[in-house]
Amino acid sequence: MPQIFPRKANVLPHLTLAGSLAGGVFAILFIWYYFSPEYTDVGYAPEQPVEYSHRLHAGQLGLDCQYCHTNVKDAAHSNVPATQTCMNCHSQVRTESLKLLPVRESWATGESIEWIKVHKLPDYAQFSHAVHTNNGVGCESCHGRIDQMEVVFQAEPLSMGWCLECHRNPEQFLRPNSEITTMGYEYPDDFVQQNLQRIAAEDIQPPTNCSACHY
Amino acid sequence: MIELPVLEDSPESADPTQNRFWRSISHLKGSEEFSRMNGGEFLPGASDGPLAEGSGGATRRQFIQLMGASMAMAGLTACRKPVEAIVPFSHMPEDRVPGVPVQYATSMPFRGTLHPLLVESYDGRPTKVEGNPDHPDSHGATHLFEQASILALYDPDRLGTVRNAGAVSDWAAFRSFVSGLPTSTRIAVLAEPSSSMTMAIVRRQMQQRFAAVRWVDYHGTVGNNAAQGVSAAYGRSARVRHHVENARVILSLDADLFGSAGSDPVAAARGFAAGRDPESMNGMNRLYVVESGTSITGGMADHRLRLKSSEVASFAAAVAAELGAWSGNAGTHASHAWVSEVAADLRNAGSSALVVAGDHQPAGVHALAAAINDRLGAVGTTVNYLDASDASDDSAATMDALVADMSAGNVDLVLTLGVNPVYDHPAFADAYASVAHRVHFGFYFDETANGATWVVPQAHYLESWGDGRSRSGVPGVIQPLIAPLYADAHSDIEVIGLFATGTDMPGYEMVRATWRDMIRGSFDSSWRKVIHDGFADLPGYASARVSLSASGVNAAAAALDLGAHSGVEVVITPDSKVFDGRFANNVWLQELPEPTTKVVWDNVAMMNPATAERLGVGAKLDGGKYLADVVSVEAGGASIELPVWIQPGMADDSVHVSLGYGRDITSERPERSTNFFDLDDYTDVYGKGAVSTGVGANAAPLMTAGAIATATVSKAGEGYMVASTQDHGAIDAPHVGEEVKKRGLFRMATLQEYRSNPDFVKGGEPAAIKEDWSDYPTLWEANHPKESEVMTSSHYHENQWGMVIDLNTCTGCNACVVACQAENNIQVVGKSEVARGREMHWLRLDRYFVSGDGSSYEDPQMVIQPMPCQHCENAPCEQVCPVAATVHSPDGTNQMIYNRCIGTRYCANNCPFKVRRFNFFNWTKTLPQTLHMASNPNVTVRSRGVMEKCSFCIQRIRGANKVANVENRSLQDGEVVTACQQVCPANAITFGDVSNPDSAVSRKRQSDRRYELLAELNIKPRVSYLGRVRNPNPNLA
Repeated sequence: MPQIFPRKANVLPHLTLAGSLAGGVFAILFIWYYFSPEYTDVGYAPEQPVEYSHRLHAGQLGLDCQYCHTNVKDAAHSNVPATQTCMNCHSQVRTESLKLLPVRESWATGESIEWIKVHKLPDYAQFSHAVHTNNGVGCESCHGRIDQMEVVFQAEPLSMGWCLECHRNPEQFLRPNSEITTMGYEYPDDFVQQNLQRIAAEDIQPPTNCSACHY
Repeated sequence: MIELPVLEDSPESADPTQNRFWRSISHLKGSEEFSRMNGGEFLPGASDGPLAEGSGGATRRQFIQLMGASMAMAGLTACRKPVEAIVPFSHMPEDRVPGVPVQYATSMPFRGTLHPLLVESYDGRPTKVEGNPDHPDSHGATHLFEQASILALYDPDRLGTVRNAGAVSDWAAFRSFVSGLPTSTRIAVLAEPSSSMTMAIVRRQMQQRFAAVRWVDYHGTVGNNAAQGVSAAYGRSARVRHHVENARVILSLDADLFGSAGSDPVAAARGFAAGRDPESMNGMNRLYVVESGTSITGGMADHRLRLKSSEVASFAAAVAAELGAWSGNAGTHASHAWVSEVAADLRNAGSSALVVAGDHQPAGVHALAAAINDRLGAVGTTVNYLDASDASDDSAATMDALVADMSAGNVDLVLTLGVNPVYDHPAFADAYASVAHRVHFGFYFDETANGATWVVPQAHYLESWGDGRSRSGVPGVIQPLIAPLYADAHSDIEVIGLFATGTDMPGYEMVRATWRDMIRGSFDSSWRKVIHDGFADLPGYASARVSLSASGVNAAAAALDLGAHSGVEVVITPDSKVFDGRFANNVWLQELPEPTTKVVWDNVAMMNPATAERLGVGAKLDGGKYLADVVSVEAGGASIELPVWIQPGMADDSVHVSLGYGRDITSERPERSTNFFDLDDYTDVYGKGAVSTGVGANAAPLMTAGAIATATVSKAGEGYMVASTQDHGAIDAPHVGEEVKKRGLFRMATLQEYRSNPDFVKGGEPAAIKEDWSDYPTLWEANHPKESEVMTSSHYHENQWGMVIDLNTCTGCNACVVACQAENNIQVVGKSEVARGREMHWLRLDRYFVSGDGSSYEDPQMVIQPMPCQHCENAPCEQVCPVAATVHSPDGTNQMIYNRCIGTRYCANNCPFKVRRFNFFNWTKTLPQTLHMASNPNVTVRSRGVMEKCSFCIQRIRGANKVANVENRSLQDGEVVTACQQVCPANAITFGDVSNPDSAVSRKRQSDRRYELLAELNIKPRVSYLGRVRNPNPNLA
């Protein structure tokens, strides 16, 4: 009886084996990269109802973050400012600008402006701005160079691994409380030593147990 | 693996004279079914797939469809997170910080008085109710109705629009109807008695505008026998107020002092607990309970006598005669062994004695109780009579006269103001249609609304302005926390204001106008203070000058039947969960296990085993549920059919039925339809119309002959499924009560035993299981993981949380269960799911019957033990979780991490306390939108396939941690209060830092009555219990 398969068919099992190995590696790498928040979430920059430029306001004009985000040191939620805050200046400045029409409408009608949320934590993660900003975590550390963003985008993955990076080694990231809102803060050469001293003095121990954030 | 040795049967524990603890007759008799249902990891059927009601389960075809659909959907789900908006104010209100809750003082009107509250509001959305700690009447605690009222606000079945002749109308149309009424209109108003000052004013104005306004204080099925009894005894109306805290000897004549349907359960429980400290030099108070049913008050009793409710009158008469408080014929119980002993004890206590009669007992019994209290000199110490302007003693005769006039056509307009007489007053229903204009003001499109010409939606108390007086008469305000969810909804004073003036009267203006005349000094600052505090710093009701009228008592007692009663009686009382039906549409209350029967979503005909046997009916345990015979209960010319419930400890020939079920509410919500492959609608209690419609049967028609009536009970059917949790989560399967006793789950002693052996709780402690622990050094010995570097290096390690539950003061009233549900977003699963053991309550109240001898199960004691997660230091659940979703926190709590949980359920299997709850379905996916507003934003809403359990209110702990961190300080004792602790009327729960020797919980842990459950397993629970000490009368033992 003649052979059904030619001799060269013997390569097939090897090819299959190699192929599935390569495919497996590829699948792992594919998921590793494309399914991670660093790929899916970083760079998320939804279009906002008002073309508000942080580059202009926080960068060129040099407004402090807390001029608008007033509760960042007092509450878990860092507030997005009320229309009132915009109108503090814009009742005098650029009063005719078309871009500001939704703001003036909101001011006149009392209806809210519906901003699109950029930085989203899952519902099962509890986060407090107050605790972080009072313990030397700068705005920039999580939100990136807001002062250079024309449209705000997510700069960091906000994944749990990313959170823990700092919670485990806070000395690598903290800055003096006076520099919290500074954009482009330049760490002094001995910042790790300074931070270690501060951590010892103020007893800063970021929790790493589950129920610190998940409940 | 650690192999724990099986506990051996020890011969001494088999002594039949020892206390036996049992959950049900099936348990006591060691039925196979009980062993079967508690032998496995979960109740039989708990792990089965979804079954449509009545069908044979999912078919193969359905299965394939489901799987196919799931596969197809799987690829789509992981795209992008949904787009969310941030919506800041346009004009920012002053002092508002988004996401930070604010508490407002307000009050809940209930049974004519205000219940002072603090309500938490998140960004304008009320989420949680607490008692107002500053108010002299509240002590900061509440009962379960206040807790559950928050859900009523968001009830999707609420009436939203004005209806006219069945069609949708609006408030403006109703306004023009009212303003167009001629002043000669003969109006009858039916309303609950109200303590509102504003209501009194607008009511007078309305009576001025219309020539004939007849105002009827409508008591419905709750009745006002107590007020009538006081009137009879003293010849004047006054509100009776019991000061249990001053009482040394208490006699309850069929009165459920601590149950939610009692007249002042929070104060009673708090007062009772105050006299219940066995270490106190003053000794303990003593509670005698004479009752036909099994109330939680009976469970707390030092002595409990089973007596038919119809014979309680003759018992009361005998005690009264013995004490010389009454000179009539003492009736059939004159020679009862109890009478002389109880009377002697009461006489010894003198002015510190207290006799209380149950609300459903006739006025004569209340008059006798008043006479006894008066005779003993208790008036002024344990009993106070208050000169309450609103204490009304309208009797049933007023209603009869109104109904007659309605039938005769002498009434042009009847206004039912927040009451539902078609449901609970059968005679009214017949006469209703003969009135031309029938205006119903109510929360739902209910029975009365069905026959009304105008239906006006009632605003929730959290949506409206109002005022009134607390039980002791302190004036307070009702302050809204949210604008009405439905524009047409108005408050009762606004509706009466409209009738009084013909124009819109805003509630705020009316209440302010009333208070302008009440407070002295600068109005604006005083008013602001009243709004802030929730009440005015003004005196309550003055004490009424009362002098007992012997002839009045005699007349009232003469109306009593003091003879022996043969035959079956039926006792009809307001339900401890849905009251008279007004809370029937509240799913938290429907799913709450009734404190003594643990029945959910039903009312049942309760009777004791002997009565059931005589009637030839019964109920059979089947999995986690009961298959009960149905009986027809006939009384007062009406009959209803109810499933049988066998309740040991009840009086022979007494059948108990509770009110408030069998509602017929029409919801505006359309029936929900879902995709064919979506089985989640199967689990949705809101899926098909109003939730209370069709639950149980209405017992009000039986009441024409009174709350206690002679009845005919006969078998009418069988196989009715009753869901009860009484056999769920049994820690002791194999031998009847032996495990509870041997393992010492519930430890109790008499005061005498306690004094001679203060360490009695240690006596019941099994020896710790010893084996060679050397294989597991970190688990059991000195280098316990809680002392490891990773734990001690955390700030959280400074506080080690623990809880102590005092079984001596816990009445088992259920308030904690509802508070926990409100705080922790615990979902409701419905009757058939509870029957499979899928209930979600984090806090279970285990009720045990205790009898000295297995054969005499007719007269057991009843004890209740709260069972939250014990937060074991060596938690068995943590050892078996394959994904470390449940681990220990540095502050000593057993964390449950929902996002890690993959649903293996190993933890629940390994939990010796069976306190873990599994989300068999996505209970929240199909919930109506408004109900999401009731959620606590600080607690994750759990999804399908996730385990959950008591977290020690970790969100409150972490909230306090964060505040302390920002303020750079340590946590103070008392800064973290759990929801169950906060609500507890009896202060039975203490929570705090056990590593701080000065904390309240550490001091409680010093008590010699403290013990831990299953200590022999070396699991080191963080929850400990204080053993119960009873104070029986040595002469009656």
